[in-house]
Amino acid sequence: MSIDTAAAFDVTDYLRKQMMPHFLCPGCGHGMALRALLWAIHDLEIDKDALAVVSGIGCAGRLSAYIDANTFHVTHGRPIAYATGLALARPDLHVVVITGDGDCLAIGGNHLIHACRRNLKLTCLMLNNEVYGMTGGQVSPTTSQSRLTTTTPLGNAEPHFDACALATAAGAGFVGREVTRHVPKLKELIKAGLRHEGFAFIEILSDCTEIFGRKNEMGSSPEMMMRQKSELRPSAYRDTVDTPFRANDLPTGILARNDRPEYGAAYRSAAAAARNGAR
Amino acid sequence: MSGSPNSASEAAPAPASPAAAVEPSAEPLNVLIVGVGGQGVIMVSKVLALLAQAQGFQVKQSEVHGMAKRGGAVFSHVRFGRQVWSPTIPKGEADILIALEWAEGLRWLPYLKPETGIFICDTKRIVPPFACLNRRPGAPLRYSRETPADVISQVGEGYAIDATQMAEELGNERAANVVLLGALSTALRFPAADWEQTVAKFVPKKTVSVNLDAFRRGRAWIEEARVVTPAVESRAAEAPAPADPAYRVRLDIVAAWCKSCDICVKICPERCLRLNAERIAELAEPEKCTGCRLCEWLCPDFAIRVHLEDISAMAADAASEGAPR
Repeated sequence: MSIDTAAAFDVTDYLRKQMMPHFLCPGCGHGMALRALLWAIHDLEIDKDALAVVSGIGCAGRLSAYIDANTFHVTHGRPIAYATGLALARPDLHVVVITGDGDCLAIGGNHLIHACRRNLKLTCLMLNNEVYGMTGGQVSPTTSQSRLTTTTPLGNAEPHFDACALATAAGAGFVGREVTRHVPKLKELIKAGLRHEGFAFIEILSDCTEIFGRKNEMGSSPEMMMRQKSELRPSAYRDTVDTPFRANDLPTGILARNDRPEYGAAYRSAAAAARNGAR
Repeated sequence: MSGSPNSASEAAPAPASPAAAVEPSAEPLNVLIVGVGGQGVIMVSKVLALLAQAQGFQVKQSEVHGMAKRGGAVFSHVRFGRQVWSPTIPKGEADILIALEWAEGLRWLPYLKPETGIFICDTKRIVPPFACLNRRPGAPLRYSRETPADVISQVGEGYAIDATQMAEELGNERAANVVLLGALSTALRFPAADWEQTVAKFVPKKTVSVNLDAFRRGRAWIEEARVVTPAVESRAAEAPAPADPAYRVRLDIVAAWCKSCDICVKICPERCLRLNAERIAELAEPEKCTGCRLCEWLCPDFAIRVHLEDISAMAADAASEGAPR
């Protein structure tokens, strides 16, 4: 009898080892998010050939390159658009989108809301680190108010987007949020998302340690990660009066779930009906 | 002190009541009920208190509560007699100690009257978190190692009863406290019918019959146990001997992938990792590592892999390799 159920999962089985070490900065939360995704894939026994990962541009976008599966690194903001085509053409695949906050909400904002509305079976992981890290640390739609970035040297004056609220309002079938600090919990959330028949939107709160953390003097990578636990927790569990890491205290876990009809199945049955009618 | 409350010898011969039955004389009778939150300690003490009151005694009861949902230690003192002054039982003065959990029973043993005290204890084990402080896989629990036989030999009259098992057989594990109440009832001179009436008043309507069965079962068990020698049933008797951990932890760290972010070093609950001179993570104190995998999970660079190696299997392999062909 094994006392260790986690032992069976070896992340390197799912990585393109020739690409390692990856390009992410030391302490970047995206690595943990990638582990959670691969672990979820392992737990659900999804075959690598049956997995397609589509990602856009940015630090998060680069993650697909390290996954040993069918991967697509596509144009900025458009991974959901590419993934939509792929999922419609190949309903046998598990299509996962990895995107960043800028990629998903700014450049690709329109694709996101329509994917939510359409409810096609896709799993969209939005890695939110509040900044455009790859291009030098510009302000993004999710940057908290008053935070410093290279384009907001006096502090961000704009209110930020709550991506989960946006996805819920747009009708996504499954909406969840988790921090990278809780890898096993994040894995379970991603598993639930992968099982969901419909559009699953998962916001992963990640840390940009080198660009955003340094600019805002948020401490070393371990300190930034510890803050996720000490300062960022569901409002129901807040028992301290400290200033939260993000400007608001964001709930985590599964935030919305509905069983609206899945678009792909509806589309296929309509197409079949049309074909039969034509005969 | 005005003699033993075990007044069976002074009272008129009453063959119907058990030999050991005690009743309050000038001094109040002290019953201490202990257990873990949620087991029904308070319920047992309330039944007893109410019954004693109905029989015309003055009753004082003192309890700790609020632990019910927290799995904490719960105790309840019940004292009754012609006149009761203090609501709590001094050390060494309890006539009867009823324990709903094995270790709790042992914890309160010093309160029992030496020589004459009656000890009735469920052998159920609820292992508290502080008995698992060593987080190494396979590490022995620091739960009490005394077997029922050890303990019973030390007390005047002791019964280790697997009440939880009995209640489970009757269909509701939660009736274990009533099994013990049944056992307690044999030690006091209140009529069985009065006991049953009071129990029925306290339990939810749906569970009246299972609880009454539990009560009779506990009563019958003790009466039987009295005829035979103190019968010792046992799950507690099978307490595992403390063993060395059967697992050894090994960390594989890929130096080429480590980016010196320091997360593993700071996150490790045992503080057994460090960055070496080249600022690459290494396991500095392998003997402290419990194999919890936090470092593996939180390494953003996939540089750490934790292996728990089964030592016994390795030894077996080594033996078979070494065997002559």
